[in-house]
Amino acid sequence: MSATYEIPIVSRGRVIRPTEDDSVIFNGRGGAEFLAPDPHRHVHDLILGNPVLLTDLMDTPISQIIEFLVEVGKRLRLEDNSFFQESFELGLLAGGLSEPILRSIYERLPAMFDGAVLRDRVEQTIGSAFLDGWVPLESFEGRHRIRAVGTRQLHITAGNVPVVAATTIIGGALTKSDILIKLPSNDPLTASAIARTMIELDASHPVTRHIAVAYWKGGDEAMEQQIVRTTRIDKITAWGGMSSVKHIQKFLHPGLDLIALNPKFSISLIGAEALESEAALDEAATGIAVMSGLMNQTACVNTRLVYVECGEDDDSLARLEDLGRRIAAAYKTLPSFFSTPADAPSLELEAELESAAMENDFYTVIGNTVDGGVIISRFPDRVDFYEQLNNRVVNLVPVADLFDAIKWCNDTTQNVGIYPESLRDRVIGPFALAGVQQFVPLSGGDPAGVYQEFNTNPAGLPHDGIEPMRRSVRWVIDHRPAKGQTARSAIAAQ
Amino acid sequence: MAEAVTATGVVLDPARPESWSDQGFEALYDISWRDCLEAQAEALRLRFQKMSGQLPAMDKLASKEGITKIDGIEDALPLMFDHRVFKNYPLSLIETRNIPKLHAWLGRLTTHDLSGMDLDGLPTIEAWLDRLDQFGMIVTTSSGTTGKLSFIPRSRTEYPAWERSYMLALHASLGVDPYTDKIETFSPSYRGGHQTALKVQMMFNIFAAGGAEHYHTLYHTHMSADLMSLAGRMQAAEDRGELDRLGLDPALLSARQEMIELARRRPQDLADWFEALFEGYRGKRVKISGLGGDLLRTAIDGSSKGIKPTFAPGSIAFYGGGLKGFKHDLPDWEAYVCEFFGMERLGTCYGMSEVISQSPRCSLGNYHIMPMVVPVLFDADMNPLPRESSQTGRFGFFDLLAQTYWGGFISGDEVTIHWEEDCACGWKQPFVGPAISRYADKDGGDDKITCAGTAKAYDDFLSFVSEG
Repeated sequence: MSATYEIPIVSRGRVIRPTEDDSVIFNGRGGAEFLAPDPHRHVHDLILGNPVLLTDLMDTPISQIIEFLVEVGKRLRLEDNSFFQESFELGLLAGGLSEPILRSIYERLPAMFDGAVLRDRVEQTIGSAFLDGWVPLESFEGRHRIRAVGTRQLHITAGNVPVVAATTIIGGALTKSDILIKLPSNDPLTASAIARTMIELDASHPVTRHIAVAYWKGGDEAMEQQIVRTTRIDKITAWGGMSSVKHIQKFLHPGLDLIALNPKFSISLIGAEALESEAALDEAATGIAVMSGLMNQTACVNTRLVYVECGEDDDSLARLEDLGRRIAAAYKTLPSFFSTPADAPSLELEAELESAAMENDFYTVIGNTVDGGVIISRFPDRVDFYEQLNNRVVNLVPVADLFDAIKWCNDTTQNVGIYPESLRDRVIGPFALAGVQQFVPLSGGDPAGVYQEFNTNPAGLPHDGIEPMRRSVRWVIDHRPAKGQTARSAIAAQ
Repeated sequence: MAEAVTATGVVLDPARPESWSDQGFEALYDISWRDCLEAQAEALRLRFQKMSGQLPAMDKLASKEGITKIDGIEDALPLMFDHRVFKNYPLSLIETRNIPKLHAWLGRLTTHDLSGMDLDGLPTIEAWLDRLDQFGMIVTTSSGTTGKLSFIPRSRTEYPAWERSYMLALHASLGVDPYTDKIETFSPSYRGGHQTALKVQMMFNIFAAGGAEHYHTLYHTHMSADLMSLAGRMQAAEDRGELDRLGLDPALLSARQEMIELARRRPQDLADWFEALFEGYRGKRVKISGLGGDLLRTAIDGSSKGIKPTFAPGSIAFYGGGLKGFKHDLPDWEAYVCEFFGMERLGTCYGMSEVISQSPRCSLGNYHIMPMVVPVLFDADMNPLPRESSQTGRFGFFDLLAQTYWGGFISGDEVTIHWEEDCACGWKQPFVGPAISRYADKDGGDDKITCAGTAKAYDDFLSFVSEG
């Protein structure tokens, strides 16, 4: 059965809905169909041809932008925002998250629009002074002044968590930029819902006037060729690596800055102490279960591989299996607002697990792709199908020395869970050099507490090893003449 | 059950499916699959009965599925191996050349007892495969989309039927009987190796050509299984400047250098080789056998240089492996190749390393499956599709010619099977075609974008950008 959802184009304060003679149907995911205005007819509604039209945003102080965003945040409530209700419903159908998890993410979206959080995000990254005006440097009598100037941005967003839609819109506003969001098929409405809420609040606000949102099929060359031009776009933020950039790559050329937020996956490093006592086994198992289980392992922050300092003898492997059983048990204790059994098995991964289970010389398999599972390697290497680990399934890999795991790290390795804490200082330097981006604690032993710690992040942190906010503006220098020079040129002018 | 004799007099002895092809492909294509089903089911029952308790990999699957006997093809469906089974070993066994463990693993896939084979002095996978050949196995390798090697555990037991079914497929697709009509054969490839296509060519094409002196290859060397399986890891290690730390046989490292050099020279070598062939065999009858991409590349390059081969009438070409990503904008590349080489048509088959009897393409472009293979199609939920009209799904089969390993296999191919035997070419039996696609190629085409991903995605990205 297919349901048809209307995906309007949001264009700088206007909503363009599909009409009888202006509509196309896209095959969405989860049996949903998307009915949208023909994007080819609206290229000029989507792009900002003339960058000087950003003057309105440039002249709006950050404080006023934040005030506006705060008001928007107050209206992003699932219980009474019909746009949100619709995007939630479609997100359940098209995305990969179960109802309680998606609901809790939606419930936490308004907190992203909190005034203090927004101020922190600006001040910890660019600094409002640089956005609101020209900031003189201390040297050379302050004759050099710097300003962070807004840009025209295309965002090819990820849809696995709706947080991406919110953070993109906030980032656009706080960098005083014009943003065009290309919706992903797995979250086709959240960005539109936020933009339409803004329109209801104030359709003429400069922030509202610089947001465009549309769906078109990734790889629609006629569409992307029209949009991805240096005359129309300054920066492209592309989530999802290959799958999002392979189509637009042919249109990239110098002058267009590609901010590639490549797909990532996360790992954990577990010291030998974790296998030495019941209490440590339980604490480590809980930490690993939370880090792999949150948002049902759909995100880049989820650990998929767990390297454990452990021998290959039968006794050591028996303890490793014990840890595995405790992880599988811990999945069952996770609160449903951040982790649930999968709605359906992952057929490919299930086949891999069954196949691995046939070879008990090499692997031990606990659990499955519905309730969550653990696959224990009986030799120091990850499973060959590690790229497919999903549905709360992790691979425990025994390594004689945790530094052996460095060879499996590169800049696609995002977060590294650490247990116990005594490991931390020893490992962070080399692993940072190897390409990883964040070290996170697994300690605590209480699922809600470990989860809370994962969500304790100040605003404005780097992302994927870069600072996207600072990267999204253009840094412009105003170099003024020395005082004496000014006088002489004034004379010359006379 | 006694021998099944069909209405047309074709004999299908369920106890000896390996004898079915003795009657020639015309006889097999003259009967309906419906008349073969009973003999096929009985043959499958006997295979299972004989292998039970002898084949750990199958026994394990059977006990998991609770299957102790097979009374019909449907009963055996849960016993189909998926593509992982022939490569269900940790890659690190190859990297560390842990031959004993790899050998023990392979031993679970065959009814032959491999435990008596001497494993001393085997520095490479290639050497292990060579020794397996001496021991009586004929293991072939195949690398799928992941690059990890599959090992297909065939042996000399399968050899006679393997040879006959291969010759039958050649005969059927080219119209030339390789038993009686020997043709000077040219293959723009390696002389041999354990990779399935190369090993098959070496075993059978020399015979079809009329002797080693009539079989000409681009290179006289063999393709190394070690290099094929370790190419990715060796490249990664070299990028880190740590190739020496993999502890590989020095011979392997120098072989790799040679192979890189060879790959660099290959387009030129290929062009030179073909030009010499065109010159030296003007007016003579030849058979060219190679990858579709190589034939097309040669035709395009040759045409642009104004080269025109003039072989004798009756010359033939056979290709396998499709185009392997070779890009072109020709509406009908096969017609273009035929035109260039001056041949009437190209012969080809549908098959894969895991099946012995390949399905030859008929004059109308369809691939007819011989009764030694029992085809089954599955839908997305792995439920079998009915054997009627035309169905599209995942291709699985029971290979009745597998005598010492389990022949039930589920492929990664999506195909359409036509069960009504209504191909106007005159051949019966179910036919596949014309389009065949791999499920693996379909992933990622749905516009879904997530932040989670892996090194593979990153490497794809890099290679894409660098190719720019």
